[in-house]
Amino acid sequence: MKNFLKPGWLALPSLRIRLVLSSLLALSLAFVAPVALAADVELDAPELACLKCHDKEGLKMKTQKGEVLPLSISTKAFIDSMHNKTSCEDCHDDLDEKEHGKVPSTVSSKREFTLKMSDTCISCHKENVALFKDTVHAAMINGGSEKAATCSDCHNSHTVKSVKIVAPIDQIPCARCHEDIFKAYSKDVHGLERVAKGKTSPTCNNCHSAHEIKAASFGDALKDSCIKCHKDAAPSHEKWLPNSALHFEAVSCPVCHAPDAQRRVNLRMVDSVGGKQLWEQRGVPKFERLIKTADGKEVGLDEKELRSFLKEFNLESEGPKAILSGRLEVRSGVQAHQLSEKEKAIKDCKVCHQYGATPFQTVVLTMAGPDGRPLRHGVEKEILSSLTATGTMKGFYAIGSTRVKLLDYLLVLVLLGVACVPIAHLTANRLFKAKREQLKAASNKDQS
Amino acid sequence: MKQIYIHPLPVRIWHWINAIGFIVLIATGLQIRYMDLAQILPFKVAVDVHNWIGFVLMANYFLWLGFYLFTDKITVYLPEMNSEKYFKDSWRQIKFYGYEIFLGKVNPHQPTIYHKFNPLQIMMYQIIMLLFVPIQFISGLLLWDVKQFAFLIDLFGGVRIVDMIHVLMFIVFSGFLIMHLYLITLGHTRFAHIKAMLTGYEEVDEGGKH
Repeated sequence: MKNFLKPGWLALPSLRIRLVLSSLLALSLAFVAPVALAADVELDAPELACLKCHDKEGLKMKTQKGEVLPLSISTKAFIDSMHNKTSCEDCHDDLDEKEHGKVPSTVSSKREFTLKMSDTCISCHKENVALFKDTVHAAMINGGSEKAATCSDCHNSHTVKSVKIVAPIDQIPCARCHEDIFKAYSKDVHGLERVAKGKTSPTCNNCHSAHEIKAASFGDALKDSCIKCHKDAAPSHEKWLPNSALHFEAVSCPVCHAPDAQRRVNLRMVDSVGGKQLWEQRGVPKFERLIKTADGKEVGLDEKELRSFLKEFNLESEGPKAILSGRLEVRSGVQAHQLSEKEKAIKDCKVCHQYGATPFQTVVLTMAGPDGRPLRHGVEKEILSSLTATGTMKGFYAIGSTRVKLLDYLLVLVLLGVACVPIAHLTANRLFKAKREQLKAASNKDQS
Repeated sequence: MKQIYIHPLPVRIWHWINAIGFIVLIATGLQIRYMDLAQILPFKVAVDVHNWIGFVLMANYFLWLGFYLFTDKITVYLPEMNSEKYFKDSWRQIKFYGYEIFLGKVNPHQPTIYHKFNPLQIMMYQIIMLLFVPIQFISGLLLWDVKQFAFLIDLFGGVRIVDMIHVLMFIVFSGFLIMHLYLITLGHTRFAHIKAMLTGYEEVDEGGKH
């Protein structure tokens, strides 16, 4: 185990004295009997010894960065926690018994401390830690993020409770970082049901799978989450929605089920063989670099610039060609958490299937960043209805809203052209009337 | 005037189902594509009607195909194999519709049950029935269930291309319909050809004139 706290920790003399005293007390108690502090939980002497000092409100230290690192642990909260049978040493085995509390400890920053402590979780929670390594949070941590959540950001190791008994939604740890989204969730159909019905309604983890969490905009994991509970979603949509399987693929659930949300077209970059979303490699910012080259004015890619960007991108790629896969989605995570009751969901096809429909007024090009979070760049909406963009956009089409304008002109031209034929023919027929009657009269005369 | 039986009953049934069906398909197609310009039907109703009529017309197509494949009436669609005669006959027909008709001359093509179409009609109907209509049916079928036919759609270049082909054919059929509606009024009376398609009998002049 790595060193938990370096010399300097617990530098206050009074604390040192307390620690020594508590150690002595703990030793003496160890020879007597374990202490029962709850009906069915007994803390061992070493834990009691630690808590003797740490169960003090306001106990804290300063990191080298000047941040306040709280050190107090409530004995009661610890006993009530899931870790009440875990010894302090199981996690803090790097503490030097002789120096702890006597020699000043140094911690460079809170972040460094929490990251270091997260390494200890694996000794018991192998499966979840292994899963966590593939999450967006882990990827962000690897990328140097100072904010991405690590174990203790969600689970206070000294007060952690079973997720099965965490009922009130205000205790959900995700809210600490994702406050805006959580506020939206708490007012939407799931949040309100959670309050009204308790744990039968979903909270963050049910859809985002905390230890397997990926960037919300990546892949179809969230759609699968919806279908996991709403098992009849596919058959019930099939009953009324034409091409429902296509809608399931090309339209994210909140587009219709968050009726007040703003929508947009997301052109995802996928590989042409398996259709998987393309990832930017860490340290090789190809997407952003080529976008900068293609969109010099930074006003959004036009058709030509998008084509040129894809061409350059593919020239630099070794694997399968990058193509675009379009889908409709809401514009932000907050809006994705404004889900309404089923009855209020959008069922009016006209919202999308007409020229000028609002979801098609904003278009973005997306590639997954190194941590799975999207790298986006605006694209001019005219591309959706351009004939010459057909090659680039062949995988995306919505009846009415992305119709090719040139075909509209062709229709008008053909109808006008064809309508001219009878008009001209009838006019000629009228002009020849005299001649026709003259010939007819001559013919009748001949016959008679 | 003598009456010549040129439209057998199965052909008349096919024709009128096709006529009504195509008008409904064009109308609902316009509604589906141009919801922003005018809304007469709800989008969903227009799509459902469009799909159902599409399937009815596909079945109807096989009525037409079966009739002509399994009867000797297929001769009405067989073109003249002598190219010189074919072009000569075609030119004669163009000349008639473009000029001679105004002088009150007789249609050079005299229909019989085995040769009811003039050379221009044979060419046009062959292209329509053996190329354009199947293209329209296939593209429509693919668009009806994009996911189920994803493989074929990819083969044709994507849903956008398939839709464009469907719309191009729609433009062709819309133009054809207008032309057809005018040309059927060019019988010996304005309603002679329409009447023939209802009764099966075309009125032809005793002396071979229509």
